[in-house]
Amino acid sequence: MNERIVTELIESFGKLFMAGIKVSIPLTLASFSAGLLIAFFVALVQIAKIPVLKFLVRVYVWIIRCTPMIVQLFIVYFGLPTVGIRFSPFVSAWIVMSLSVGAYCSETVRAAIDSVPVGQLEACYCDGLTFWQAMIHVVVPQALRTAFPPLSNSIIGLVKDTSLAYNVALVEILATAQRIASRTYDYFWLYLEAGLIYLIFCSVLTVIQRKAEEALERRR
Amino acid sequence: MFSLRNVNKRFGDNVVLNNVSLDVNQGDVVAVLGPSGSGKTTLLRCAGYLTKADSGTLTIGGRQYDMNKISGRDLREYRKRVGFVFQTFNLYGNKTALGNVTLGLRVAQKMPKEEAEKIGKALLERVGLGDRMDFYPSKLSGGQQQRVAIARALATNPEVIFFDEPTSALDPELTGEVLSVIRQLADEGRTMIVVTHEMEFARNVATRVVFMEDGEIVEENTAGEFFTNPQKERTKAFISRSSSWTGGEGKTPEQNQ
Repeated sequence: MNERIVTELIESFGKLFMAGIKVSIPLTLASFSAGLLIAFFVALVQIAKIPVLKFLVRVYVWIIRCTPMIVQLFIVYFGLPTVGIRFSPFVSAWIVMSLSVGAYCSETVRAAIDSVPVGQLEACYCDGLTFWQAMIHVVVPQALRTAFPPLSNSIIGLVKDTSLAYNVALVEILATAQRIASRTYDYFWLYLEAGLIYLIFCSVLTVIQRKAEEALERRR
Repeated sequence: MFSLRNVNKRFGDNVVLNNVSLDVNQGDVVAVLGPSGSGKTTLLRCAGYLTKADSGTLTIGGRQYDMNKISGRDLREYRKRVGFVFQTFNLYGNKTALGNVTLGLRVAQKMPKEEAEKIGKALLERVGLGDRMDFYPSKLSGGQQQRVAIARALATNPEVIFFDEPTSALDPELTGEVLSVIRQLADEGRTMIVVTHEMEFARNVATRVVFMEDGEIVEENTAGEFFTNPQKERTKAFISRSSSWTGGEGKTPEQNQ
């Protein structure tokens, strides 16, 4: 490793880091928030046994879980324009990743909701609450606490999955590294650096997860 | 003022409630006794609309409700008029003692926060938990949890309170504090239906006793008569077998020790 490469890596570090801050992390947060809403919706539809919807959400989970995310990305970004529907790279990635988080996390959320004793739901009914009021005020808050560790796992996984969006022309961390390397031919060092950036972001998330779990524990 | 008429319930082929009728007067404390599987808890759950009866009607304060079918509006109104205390307390794990008592008032009754908390605090004081208002259920003993649950059932100032084996999940030394709260309510003239195995409590606090077996009411009597002068053979056998206070007669050898 000579001086030129050291200078180049220091320079590119800032660029990769900023790509993470400006693209990968916003994509992660936006996809995870939307995905979590979908996951709760899917779980509650199944628990409340809403006739037709229950069937539809099952089909959704089945399709999303049984097809590769990259294929879904290609369909949305390269496929949909042929029928006149056009999304930017960021929006395409956001749609696909939200749907993916929603499908995978719905099972986590469903199990967490099931873990709240049914007696508490009955107590809500006796207090005059409706099913949805009971879910919002009593069941879901407790389910979130139970689901927190596995959901943290999902968000960390999602940070890394955002690199797939490289394939639909989204200039995130990996694409930035790729662009620099294609000019300088230092692929080895730039990919190592890209890996380091993901390592940093995910480590920060891990620390946040631990702190949040401790805070939740204090409130029981 | 509260009555159940011709309540029927079966689970598959198993008849759990066979045409049960029960009248409760204002201020009555009715103890429902009977062996496990006699249908007493199911009767209470049907009266609380937690289990849907196959048929039956229910009257409270002059209003009649179908126990098999009820509109959402009627159910909300009915639930305001009754309270339910569970065997396993069923406190909300994400709410403090005060939060448990006030949730129904705030969410279902749409009461402003300050007003609900005023009621909640007064009720918790009454069950002797004025110093535990901000505690989460996991930080309370079983007896304390059940007293919070009683305060919660009292929040809407119900006309009738149902207790489903309120002390069965408690350590023996914690049953006293819960029973004394229930006794205090009885002294205030609350109308209550208590499914219980506590014979002593039934004898001392209940005004009336209902004995159930195989989904039917076998005997219904005043508490005094029920224990001193039971009418049915089945009830006599139950009392002598499950009581240690009947004096010499009916005691089994183990109980004599």
